[in-house]
Amino acid sequence: MVDQLERTTNLLALLLETRVPLTLDDIVNQLAGQYPTGQTALRGAFERDKGLLRDIGVPIETEVLRGTNAGQTGYRVDRDRYELRDLELTEDERRALQVAVAAARTTEAEFGIFKLGGVADTSASITANLPQLELLPSLREAIAARSTVSFSYHAAPRSLQPYALLLREGFWYVIGHDLGHDEVRTYRVDRIEGSIEQGEPAQFERPADFDPRAVFPADPKELGDGGQSATVRIDSARATFAIRELGAESVVRRLDDGGFEVEVPCSNLDAFRSWLFGWGVHAEVIGPADVRDGLVDWLRAMASRS
Amino acid sequence: MIARRGPRRSGERLRRLLVMLPWLMERGEVPVAEMAERFELTEAELVGDLELAALCGLPPFIDEMIDVFIDEGVVFAGLPRLFTRPLRLTAPEGFALLSSGRAAMQLPGADPDGALARALGKLAAVLGDDGVVVDVPQPPATTELASAVNDNARLRVSYWSANRDEATQREITPRSIFLDRGHWYVIADDSRSGESRTFRIDRFESWERTGEVDAPADGAAAIVPPSGDQWFVDSDVPSVVLRLAPQARWAAERYPLRDELPQGDPSGSIVVRMAVANEQWLRTLLLRLGPHAVVLEPVEWHDLAADAARELLTRYEAIGS
Repeated sequence: MVDQLERTTNLLALLLETRVPLTLDDIVNQLAGQYPTGQTALRGAFERDKGLLRDIGVPIETEVLRGTNAGQTGYRVDRDRYELRDLELTEDERRALQVAVAAARTTEAEFGIFKLGGVADTSASITANLPQLELLPSLREAIAARSTVSFSYHAAPRSLQPYALLLREGFWYVIGHDLGHDEVRTYRVDRIEGSIEQGEPAQFERPADFDPRAVFPADPKELGDGGQSATVRIDSARATFAIRELGAESVVRRLDDGGFEVEVPCSNLDAFRSWLFGWGVHAEVIGPADVRDGLVDWLRAMASRS
Repeated sequence: MIARRGPRRSGERLRRLLVMLPWLMERGEVPVAEMAERFELTEAELVGDLELAALCGLPPFIDEMIDVFIDEGVVFAGLPRLFTRPLRLTAPEGFALLSSGRAAMQLPGADPDGALARALGKLAAVLGDDGVVVDVPQPPATTELASAVNDNARLRVSYWSANRDEATQREITPRSIFLDRGHWYVIADDSRSGESRTFRIDRFESWERTGEVDAPADGAAAIVPPSGDQWFVDSDVPSVVLRLAPQARWAAERYPLRDELPQGDPSGSIVVRMAVANEQWLRTLLLRLGPHAVVLEPVEWHDLAADAARELLTRYEAIGS
């Protein structure tokens, strides 16, 4: 018997060139001697070949035939769907994409670059580690196709018209119109449980000028209701960093020793506490009293635990 | 050498073959060595794959064959018949190209109207309007550090050392820059330790060129930025074992884990082992997690959370009460 690679290559050539869908019998006759003879072994080998072709992205069309082969499945590959569409990249555009891919260093992107006529480049002095998640490519396709997606999140079923994927702070989020809640919602892609079901294309319109960055506040301290804020004293040792992060407009008072008092959002107390502790002993909540007292309680509970 | 059989390996070979054949047919002839290097194969692997391809074609397998042959170290393509165009981009390839392109648009020095932006526009036109947005912070030092990498320039910097909890003065020669988990880092030769060190870029307080230029880094291996979690997980730093209640599980998602131990319980708490780059970082983490985390190992860190809380409390109790 022939090598599987040889047989699969022949099968692909045959399915690409045929003008009519071919049945498994047709295929076995054409590729005489390349498939095993027993029905079970033959079926198994054909399924493996088909799986291999689909895994590398070959679009195999199937249809149930009429006429002389009525009821049998016919197979072919539509050349228009198989072939790479010409992007008409100029040489400098191709090179720019190649450099970008080198910076992200993913094997899938390198293969894409091969297809676009570029080479793998490993010399980048600036690189970006992007989290790779199995669900991302299909979510992107659903966004492009305007297909509703269904998935499980925190053990609850969700239906989402996906508008965008956003990478922020090292996490990928999918943002869209949640059909169950009838509002725009954000889900962390790595927390989606299991697989995603993709509906029919062209089911919705994305609002014009939709910007996921605007929907999803960059500052988690602002999440939550009320728009509450707290006054925090930052010592001179860390003043430069604090002003850089918060902006000069957050300063409510300058202290003689070079420190500052700043006004920061604290509607989301968890996020606020997290942010505050990042400054170590160089930051102190001045008010309001309930926020300060809550923080002291938190620390006392911890201090008494050992 | 023809490599192992099996579906996966065959798949990889065919995937590459379907890219190599159209490329070869367009050129007509290419030295084996050049083609092997371009497609990241050994010469033996390339020759094996092409010899196998030459056996393939259309029934009755006489004249409609893939027309390639190798002679005197050169690959020749005859009449282009089959596989004249590459296979379309798969979903993972398309996503990877778009997302790395969008990420690169956020790197220091990217030109919003440049070649990359135009290439991404053409890619999105073919793949469909996609809504992939990469939002990366740009600490102010990033651009200057990136240009210092290009020039091998030495910088005099003030750097906030989380471990010492103070600003340190040093001279560094930046070698490469990388983005990981939403933070920028620079790998640089460090005058203070005499070694190559990794710094978080948002912790530079000030930076200026000294005017000196160092020799280019020798041996790319030393400066190749780490990928994924491995740079942190594999480094030679101590571990902490933490029990995390459900409210504290975010820590296990946010920071690279060495492993998760099978000691979780039905209430939803988990036990994880994490790398600890420095004790100060762990103190801060424990403060954030508060009552929702407990240090199980090592013993000398059992009281770390309480110590950290007491240290902060002195500040509050001195003034207020």
